[in-house]
Amino acid sequence: MGLRVLIVDDALFMRNMLKEIFLKAGYEVVGEAGDGLEAVEQYRQLRPDLVTMDIVMPHKSGIEALQDIRKEHPDACIVMCSAMGQEALILEAVQAGARDFIVKPFKEDKVLEVVRRIAGQP
Amino acid sequence: MDMSKYRDMFFSETQEHLHNMGRLLIDLEKNPADRDGIDSLFREAHSIKGMAASMGYQRTAELAHHLEDALDGFRAGGQIPVAAFDRLLAGIDLLEGLVDDLAAERPERDIAEFVDGGAPTEVFADLPAAPSAELSTPTVPVPAAEPEAASEETLRIVVELAYGAVAPAARALLMVRDLAGQGRLLNSVPDEQELLQGGAVQRLELRLKTSRPAATVKERLLAMPDVARVSCVVERPQPVRRDARERTVRVRTGLLDQFINLAGELISNRYMLQAAFAENRVQDLKLGLDQLTRLITDLHHQVLQVRMMPVASITGRLPRQVRDLERKTGKSVSLHIEGEEVEMDRAILEALADPLMHMVRNAIDHGIEAAGELVVSASREKDLVLIEVRDNGLGLDPEAIRRKAVERGLLSPAQARSTADRDLFQLICVPGFSTAAEVTETSGRGVGMDVVKSVVEQLGGTLQIISAAGAGTRIQLYLPLSVAIIQVLLVECEGKTVAIPLTRVLRTLEVTREEIRSSGRQKVVRLGDELVPLLSVRKILQLPHRPMSGSIPAVISEVRGRKVGLVVDRLVGQREVFVKSLSFPLDRLAGISGATTLGDGSIVFIIDPQTLLEEQAAGSKLRSAGGNP
Repeated sequence: MGLRVLIVDDALFMRNMLKEIFLKAGYEVVGEAGDGLEAVEQYRQLRPDLVTMDIVMPHKSGIEALQDIRKEHPDACIVMCSAMGQEALILEAVQAGARDFIVKPFKEDKVLEVVRRIAGQP
Repeated sequence: MDMSKYRDMFFSETQEHLHNMGRLLIDLEKNPADRDGIDSLFREAHSIKGMAASMGYQRTAELAHHLEDALDGFRAGGQIPVAAFDRLLAGIDLLEGLVDDLAAERPERDIAEFVDGGAPTEVFADLPAAPSAELSTPTVPVPAAEPEAASEETLRIVVELAYGAVAPAARALLMVRDLAGQGRLLNSVPDEQELLQGGAVQRLELRLKTSRPAATVKERLLAMPDVARVSCVVERPQPVRRDARERTVRVRTGLLDQFINLAGELISNRYMLQAAFAENRVQDLKLGLDQLTRLITDLHHQVLQVRMMPVASITGRLPRQVRDLERKTGKSVSLHIEGEEVEMDRAILEALADPLMHMVRNAIDHGIEAAGELVVSASREKDLVLIEVRDNGLGLDPEAIRRKAVERGLLSPAQARSTADRDLFQLICVPGFSTAAEVTETSGRGVGMDVVKSVVEQLGGTLQIISAAGAGTRIQLYLPLSVAIIQVLLVECEGKTVAIPLTRVLRTLEVTREEIRSSGRQKVVRLGDELVPLLSVRKILQLPHRPMSGSIPAVISEVRGRKVGLVVDRLVGQREVFVKSLSFPLDRLAGISGATTLGDGSIVFIIDPQTLLEEQAAGSKLRSAGGNP
């Protein structure tokens, strides 16, 4: 069955890239959020199987959003999106419960590999 | 993955981020410890970096990264040091230059000179006071730097560790160090420091500049314990797309949904009309047509929405421009921008960008004295948008303009005396009117005002100047919301219908024979306390002369700031029309700005009274025509 994905990134450009990758792989993109506040809101409503979460965003950072979501839904499956130079933040995110991370610039095979590996786990 | 389709999006989003950066920085200069401002600036640079890296635009990504690092440092320090602003601005300029290069499909210009020289925060902090000349060099287009030595290539390496690998971070660290020994390690994700902290490392991404073949590097990695997969490819620049860049706009998805709904309604409407027609139900045909009218109005409205952009898209650069002008002139200018959220057709906004800069520059150069205030505002006035540039500076000196106008033979001394100030100010828009120093000093803003006015008029707008000596100047541009569909007045002459844009019509008039007077050889009519010359459109269009009887319809328009009455056979009425531009050779016809098709299929030309009269009368007739007491 198609995985239901929520994409969180403040850049439309990045969201579209991820969306294309997911749609091509047969996943369902159930929602998009442009900042951390929206992400938390949308997670409540949509209950996606997977969230890709950008870190640097206005209003509420990806890590804060991750923490908020995990507080309400400890089994939430969230993958952080990082750019070069954000290793420290990634580690912080992983400690806060992120399942893994994907790295910008996104590469189709890498993104899918991370997602499949996580989705394959119960 | 095909990146070409992201190209346009990259440009439109990056432009937006660059505008924001410029603006944030100007604001921060006044308040360098504004934490939110620094955060926002950091995010903008970060976004550009991410997009540029995705597109494979390496130098753009690198420079954005450099700026991001610097900003991160300032964020930690709680403020941006004063000395860093010029350099940050130069960095934004350089980013803009890079984006220009990319848009023009040139190689990205060199950034080494800007970036090199130590850790970003140090370079920024230790900045000498006035190295602006050196720093501004990057804005000059520079061809791409030297090709890399042929034998050295950059490898993009990805190492994946086996699931369940023991102490993966330590293994990865060993690999990073080993690779660093085989060439120059450009970057690794995660980097050494990160790996030292441990954690669940499953993959390593590295870029290595080396003379060793990719296969050798790969084998060496595969030979290490717990390595599951290695990909090692030579990095190549993204191939550049050759075809011209199409312009794009971003559209809210909600609007697209509305389009689909409308398309659906139009389809049902068609079926309804077909059925009504087949069964000859006139009442339903009428109902269907009413519905169609409503749907088309909706569609028109929504298509216009797509073309709309906020005025902010062109005012975004003003704070920066004003700041630069302040530096150059030594004046202190406080800039206020109002109504940036007002929306207009993107074509109009694009055409207005340069005129707006002209006006701002003029206001600072010639209007404002040592210190003053400059307001740029946009507001909706019914179907028009009013854009106003207002300063509280010297104001225009009507007497200086009168002198100059007489000197240049534009007005007779008598005309100069009788012309109202408001009309007189329009003369500064005559090409080359105020190039002379004495006028420039006291009253002149002629530099570029002719350009401003002609752009505004091409867009179907009008320009007004309000000023008083010592009380500042306001230049007001009244512009239509959109260009493609405009309101026109249809008039008829000798059975021919022509259209005049409503923005060029001050009013219409029915004149009786008794009201017409003669002033020399010119027929005039009194309008309030003004004598307005009457010009026959028949004559202008070289149609046969016809004696007038009864009341005579006239359209009052404005030419070079003076009212004229255009006499026509009949006023047909007002219409909303879709303007089609003319192609060669019809586009060479002076005074005709386009054409449109009426409901009955006939083609009607849209005339622009000003250019039509300028062409016909070649000035002299007009000058002798107007205003003689």
